[in-house]
Amino acid sequence: MPYKKLHIEVMNRVAYILLDAGSRFNKLSISTIRELKRAFTHLEEDAAANAIVLSGYPGESFAVGADIGQMVHFSPHDAFHFADLGQSLFDQIESCSKPVIAALNGITMGGGCDLAMSCDIRIAAEGLRIGHSGAKLGIITGFCGTHKLPRIVGKNYAREIFMTSDIYSAVAALQMGLVDMVHNEKEFWQNVSAFAERIASHPLSSLSAAKRLINAAEDTDLRTGCLLERETATHITALSGLHS
Amino acid sequence: MPERLCTIQPTVNGIAVLTIPGNKTVSARELLDVLHHQTSALAGKSDIKGLLLTGSEDGFCNCQIENSLSIHNAATLSSFGQKVMFSVEKVGKPCIVAIDGECSGLGLEVALACDFIVASQTASFGFPDIAVGLIPYCGGSQRLARLVGKSKAKELIYSGDLIDAEEAHRIGLINRLYPHGQTLAQAEELITHICTRSPNAIRIGGEVVNAGYDIDLQTACMLERDAFALCFSSFDQREGMQAFLEKRQPQFKGE
Repeated sequence: MPYKKLHIEVMNRVAYILLDAGSRFNKLSISTIRELKRAFTHLEEDAAANAIVLSGYPGESFAVGADIGQMVHFSPHDAFHFADLGQSLFDQIESCSKPVIAALNGITMGGGCDLAMSCDIRIAAEGLRIGHSGAKLGIITGFCGTHKLPRIVGKNYAREIFMTSDIYSAVAALQMGLVDMVHNEKEFWQNVSAFAERIASHPLSSLSAAKRLINAAEDTDLRTGCLLERETATHITALSGLHS
Repeated sequence: MPERLCTIQPTVNGIAVLTIPGNKTVSARELLDVLHHQTSALAGKSDIKGLLLTGSEDGFCNCQIENSLSIHNAATLSSFGQKVMFSVEKVGKPCIVAIDGECSGLGLEVALACDFIVASQTASFGFPDIAVGLIPYCGGSQRLARLVGKSKAKELIYSGDLIDAEEAHRIGLINRLYPHGQTLAQAEELITHICTRSPNAIRIGGEVVNAGYDIDLQTACMLERDAFALCFSSFDQREGMQAFLEKRQPQFKGE
């Protein structure tokens, strides 16, 4: 089945999921979320890809949250199921065995910010505009942002971002640690590709083991985490010995 | 005499500004009592939308060093101090701290229990009481480590050194760095701006952030999903989204 809200390209072991939801803002509608889930399921199986880049490039925005025109009529029941669907996508991205890089080419607000935070690494263009406007709309986010954001930038910046509902620049986002790298517009895509290709050149078994371990570190006590690391490292070494 | 330790000026926008410079003749217990009393009273006032805590250029929540307590009294003081910080954290309204001078010891404990800290270049931060054998006792060691990471927290607590505002900004201890003399005005503007947002969303969001920070991500996200759904039974959600669609400023009620 063809995609309507995005397209996929695979080049030099990197898969690019390019959001193009048909509006300036790449709204994360129910159908866009479903297509993203399908795209990740597909790319998980695609042996040609070792890493995935998610972006709205070359458009004006990476992604924003749901359509407010639809959301204004949500019942609590609708909201519950919408959050469930979004969270299942983010869980899928986190559990994806391949590294996922968010290339933030522009406007990244609300649910779009949450989508970016479910990825492993965030690279921003200088023109980034990022924030969470829930408190301006009378809601909180339902897409894991209230927990992802404090884990990435610390509780105090997270509270500031939620409470002000303001839009932050690339410089501010870099200072807070919300994005990992910033590039100017001209070199943005070239740098994203070069970085993604460098990661994708490494063995997938090591990349996915590292991803699993680092994600586990978030919720596991140090001793259990270290035990997991030892077992995983032993397993990986045994596997690479078999192949050489 | 709480007025001596803490003056409260409500501004026209529903912001209560609490000035608590403290001084070296006040005991920690006295200061904690005042803080507890004042924040609990403000928590219950529906016309107060936000809190701004500040000191003076001489300091923020300064008090006597507690170096002659029995073990029993130290444990009691610590329990009480931790309880007060939790009540500050749960005040249910946005609460920020503006620092111009030294913010150390109990002052830093209080600042860490608020939503976030802003400061001017003349501010400094630290836990100097290690020199007399004391460590933070109101939750400060735990909050500091969670905010700036374990290594920085250990560096600050072991050394007892005060760090300047630029360093504090660099390590994420303070959110914003203002030019000297502008801190209070800028902080008032910021909290007033925050208070134009939905009080409902801010309270629920803050509580979900706190509740989810120390539990596993999956459980935390379930909590968030349910709180998100709850927002859709509120006046603020309908008003906020209608206002967005009609391109006007929302009039939130916190309901």
